[in-house]
This record gives sequence, structure tokens and C-alpha cells, in this order.
Amino acid sequence: MENQFSGEKRKIIHIDMDAFYASIEQRDHPEYRGQPVVVGGLPDGRRGVVATASYEARKFGIHSAMSSKRAFQLCPKAVFLRPRFEVYKEVSRKMREIFARYTDLIEPLSLDEAYLDVTNDKQNIGSAIEIAKQIRQAIKNELNLTASAGVSVNKFIAKIASDIRKPDGLTFIGPSKIQAFMEKLPVEKFHGVGKVTAEKMKSMGLHTGADLKKLSEQELTRHFGKAGRFYYNIVRGIDNREVEPHRETKSVGAEDTFAYDLTSVDDMNFELDKIAQIVHNRLTRHDLQGRSITLKIKYSDFRQITRNHSFAHPVDDLYIIRDTAKQLLASTGPEGNSVRLLGITLSNFGELLPPTRRQDKSGQLRLFP
Amino acid sequence: MKFVVSSTELLSHLSAISKVINSKNTLPILDNYLFLLEENLLTVTASDLESTLITSIELDNTNGTGAIAVPAKLMNETLKEFPEQPLTFQIDPETFAIEIFSQNGKFSIVGQNGEDFPQQPILNEEIASTINLNHSVLLNGINKTLFATADDELRPVMNGIFVELSTEDIKFVASDAHKLVRYKRFDAKAEKDASFILPKKPAALLKSLLPKEEFDVKLEFDDKNAFFTLSNFKLICRLVEGNYPSYNSVIPTNNPNQLIIDRVEFYNTVRRVSVFSNQASNLVRLKLTENQLVVSAQDIDFAISAVERLSCQYEGEDMEIGFKSTFLQEILSNLSATDVKMELSDPTRAGLLLPAENEHEEENILMLLMPMMINA
Repeated sequence: MENQFSGEKRKIIHIDMDAFYASIEQRDHPEYRGQPVVVGGLPDGRRGVVATASYEARKFGIHSAMSSKRAFQLCPKAVFLRPRFEVYKEVSRKMREIFARYTDLIEPLSLDEAYLDVTNDKQNIGSAIEIAKQIRQAIKNELNLTASAGVSVNKFIAKIASDIRKPDGLTFIGPSKIQAFMEKLPVEKFHGVGKVTAEKMKSMGLHTGADLKKLSEQELTRHFGKAGRFYYNIVRGIDNREVEPHRETKSVGAEDTFAYDLTSVDDMNFELDKIAQIVHNRLTRHDLQGRSITLKIKYSDFRQITRNHSFAHPVDDLYIIRDTAKQLLASTGPEGNSVRLLGITLSNFGELLPPTRRQDKSGQLRLFP
Repeated sequence: MKFVVSSTELLSHLSAISKVINSKNTLPILDNYLFLLEENLLTVTASDLESTLITSIELDNTNGTGAIAVPAKLMNETLKEFPEQPLTFQIDPETFAIEIFSQNGKFSIVGQNGEDFPQQPILNEEIASTINLNHSVLLNGINKTLFATADDELRPVMNGIFVELSTEDIKFVASDAHKLVRYKRFDAKAEKDASFILPKKPAALLKSLLPKEEFDVKLEFDDKNAFFTLSNFKLICRLVEGNYPSYNSVIPTNNPNQLIIDRVEFYNTVRRVSVFSNQASNLVRLKLTENQLVVSAQDIDFAISAVERLSCQYEGEDMEIGFKSTFLQEILSNLSATDVKMELSDPTRAGLLLPAENEHEEENILMLLMPMMINA
């Protein structure tokens, strides 16, 4: 906020590693290079989902959060690998060392993504584009991996920019280009606009930023609730969120809106399996355990409810998350309901126990983290 | 190709290797045995791609050479029904038709092309390690550790036995993050340091094959596979890739509180008392005071409780520590000493369980169990 009022333009870089897990596997296993690689659950497992697909695998239509079984159907010759989180965490740590040469204002979003505020960089380079170039070069030289970078005046545009020349690209969107850029941007590229909201927007004749810009704040809020206000500002290039180096993750979750509303409890449970797996992957990625599990249900009439369960101890076990979510669903009497969205969130992280002391729900202590 | 083989001899070889075959296979060819006839040697292979078991039988009466895949289940079920007698196998290499002639009849089976059976992995000689292991060292190493392996889809390295060879000893280590076993043998040494992670299934296969073995087992391994050569069998298995956690750092070294107790008596007490523990946690409490151990459990939900007192040697501070009874029982039953020594530091740190006296000077066994929080 204060930057907004002080009139000083910020310089924000968004760094996003290209197919992070898969690229590390291809780096460490030369025999996988040039081959479709899928990191995540194995297709023979009942409920695995894809965490990352290499660019070769994406050509077959494989993408993250897809079930591994489906990925196998799309490309049976793909190499399926289980994630090696320790390795990814170590690489992520090294990435942050590289960022720290330029600024201390680093906000990691996950292992493979971060915002950097380089308005006042440590080395007095002055040019955010030059810093982004150097960071990408350092990642290439020192880690043998590629990253894409977006450079702009706020987090939102920097993040969209990093996606434009992916993989291995750098995109700068300067203040003079923001208006034109936002007007041309298709609505599905807007942060927070999922496939369902995008459909809704398109059905209203809203295809690009320019279309959104024609609506008043009230109109947007009426159609899209709280998010409407966010769209109103963002389409005008306004995003005053600071880069927060110590932002605490307060919750980790995942949700999915379905192509068809679900009416059978079996189908709902099947979707919860997949969502739980994604939540679990994210927890592992952030090395977190939560005490509260929240199930979110949106019915076909857009009525939304949440159900919550809290444990005495923090949990991160996939089976506990999955079964708790299913019990919460059962407690709502799902029979006969028509459901368009399901979501699971873990929160109430509290302090992480030291690795050798970590314990499960029953109080059994663990040797290894 | 054609050969004559004793029905019971063939059955005993087949049933030993049939354990490797999965009940559901992604590749249908893996539902078969691969029969390979060369000169007077019949080699039979079974595989699940991860593990491959090979056995061979010398025959007197053969004709021709060749390879054919034979349906495993049908073969086993047929052979079981024969009393001892010579069986003549006649195989048409063009149609893959198999005809088995017995004393009284003829059995017809359709096989598949032997060339469709997956190729065995080949040892990478350049980086391979080789060691001749006493069969009982290998068997004990597996027997003592297999129970402690994990079942964790996310951390596959924990699902196997970590075998660590050095110029001084060989160590077998397994852990599921709650318990850990380290079994050392000083009478087996390697020429250089090397290690690998043996998955559960091949470990279990070796466990069933080794008791009948009388000679040293030749073990060769590279970074991908291990090859175990026994007198009558060869086991090839894919190793678990990845780094085993540094287990030495979790073994506590400063444990001032020491309990020595009759192992079987302790085990029986834990078993009885644990019937009264909470079904979900299986928590049993050990209360240690001078020369007395009190084992107790309760299940508040059903208002039941149990307590037993045992005499023991205990040196240390009075303390109360909780363990999951199922884990404690597993550990006590996998030790073999008459008296067991338990070394403790505090109720939140791992307890060590060791034989009170080492029975064999060439072996050293250590088991470790993480406690449960009593106030949970």
C-alpha cells in the first residue's frame, strides 16, 4: 500500500521453475531426457495423481492433478516416477540462496515458485530485467534447471508474465504496457478464475480483460461475489499486495468443480479420494501438518456448506485426511443431493514438532520426519 | 522340442518359484513360466518384472532345444494331481501346442512364444559388487529385519531392507519410522563399502528359499539390480532406488536407565495386558521403579483395565513410558535371548531393546522403538 501512495513503482519478479519435479528427475537420470516423464502416484496405485508432467508428457495431454491412471492411458510409454521430496526441497533451498543474492524480500509460494521484490536490490543493479536474467542464468549454471520469469510492477502481472514464454522464458510487462496487456488477456488467465468461472464469464459475453473492464464494481460483485472486487482492480492493473517474506501458510487445500454435478455418493467419494491426494501432496510440499480438516460442498443451486473436524494432534496422513473428509461428507446426508464442487482444506497448523518427535494421531512418536 | 521329467521333481521346482508370480499381472505373459531347454538342462523362469526367480533341472531324456511360455496356474494344478511318474512334454515350436503324456493319458495345453517373455536384467559389471555370503548370515539378516520394514507408498526406501556391506561387517537395517532393527554380522565382510535396499518381496522369497540352502550364496549387485545365486535357484530383483535415511543418527547413545528382564515373561505379560488397551492406540504403560516393572493398560471407552507386576533388574530413575503393544510384542518375539535389556533415556525418546548377553560373538543385534505419548 505504502508504495502506492509514495508514488514509487515497485519491481516485482515472479520465478516459476519449468516442470520442476520432472525436470529434476530428467536432470538426475539422463536416460529420461527427451522422454515423457510423470512424477506423482504410480498408475498401478489405486488413487495416484500426477504431481508434475514433463513437457514431453504434456504433449500427450497429461497435466498435474490428473489421475495417474488416466495419464497412463494417454501415454503408456511415459516414465512414471514417485516424487523424491527431499531432493526437491534441497533444490528449492538452493534456489532461495540464489534469490537471496539480490533481495531479502522473497515470498516462496511453493517449492518451485516465488515472488521477489527487487525495488531496492542488494547489488544496486537497478534493472529488474537484468536481475531476472542473472537469476535464470544462475539457476541454469548452478542447478542445471530452467526457470521462467515474469517482471512487472505487481505480483499479479508478474505471475501472469512468467507464464507467457514458458518454458525457459523471460517476459517484462512495463507500466506503459499494462493497460493494453490486461485488456487483451483472456479471462481464463486471470488469477483465481477456474474453468467454471471462465465458462460463466464467457456465457455473459466476457472474453477478455477489455470486456471485464466495461463492468462496474457493483456489477462484478453481483455476479462473482467477493472476487468481483478483485477482478475490478486487477483488470485496471492494480494489485497492492506486498511481497511477504514470512507469510505464514494458514491453510492448504484443494477443490474441484465438476463438469457434471455429482448425484451418487460413490462418485463424490471417488472425487474426494483425488482431492485428498492433491491436498496431501501440497502438505508434503510445504512440510506441514494440520489439526483441522474442512470439507466444502457447493450444491448445484450454489448453496455452499462447510463441515469441520479437529484433531488433538496435527495430522498429515493421506488416509486420515481422506477418511475424515468422507466421514464429513457422510455426516451431511449426501444421498439425493446434487453437488457441483467439493473441496478439502487443512488448517490450524500451529508449530511443527521437531522431526524426531513428530507423532501421529494416536500419540505414537516417529523416528524420521 | 521334447523332454521327459519326473512329475514330483518338476512340481517341487515350480512351486518354489511360483511365489514370485502376482495374482494379477499387467503383462499377461507373466502368468506363465518360461521353459527353456538347452542340451540336457531345463531352465524355468518366473517373474513379476521386479523380481525374477530361475531354477533348473538336469534331464536325461531330451530332444531338441527351444523356449516356450507355459501357463503357470494350469501347470501347478495339473502337476499336483500326479503321483510320482515320468511325464513326457512334447512342444510344437510353430503352434506353441504343449502335449503332456502321462502313464495313462494325454494333457493338451496351449503355450505362448517364449520370446515374448521379458528379458532378464544384466549385471553392470563395471560398477558391480560381489560377495559370497554364508546362507545363514543372509537368512538371519532377513529374518531379524523384515518385520520392521514400512508400508509407505510415499517413501519407498523405507519399504525395504537396507543392506550395508563394509570391510569389517555386514549390516541389515529396517525401519518403519516407529521401530528400527539393526543386525550386524562380523563374520561376513566385503572388499569395499557398498550398500543397497532390498525390497520386501524378494526378501520374503529368499526367506522361503534359504532354509533349504546348504552352501554360500553368491550375491552380486549394481545400482539397479541384485542377483542372488543359490544352489538350485537364482533370484534377480530390482533394488529400491533412493537414499536410506541416516539411521545411525536416530539411535540414542546416552541411555542412563536400564532394565533387564526375562524376555518371554515380559512378552506374555504385554500380550495379556494389551487385550485391555484402547483398540485404536494399543497403548501399554511401563512403570519402572527399583526392581519392579508394572505393565498396565486401560480402555476408558469400555471401562476396562489391566495391570501386572514383574520383578526385574532396573537401574535408573523412576519413570513411566508408553509403547504401542503390537510393536513391543513384535520386537520381543523377534529377539531370541533369554533375558532382554531395555535402555531408556526419557519417555519421549526411543527405547533400545537388546539381548542382555550376546549369544554369538559374531553377531550384534539392536532394536529400537519409539514410545507413545502417555497423555494422548
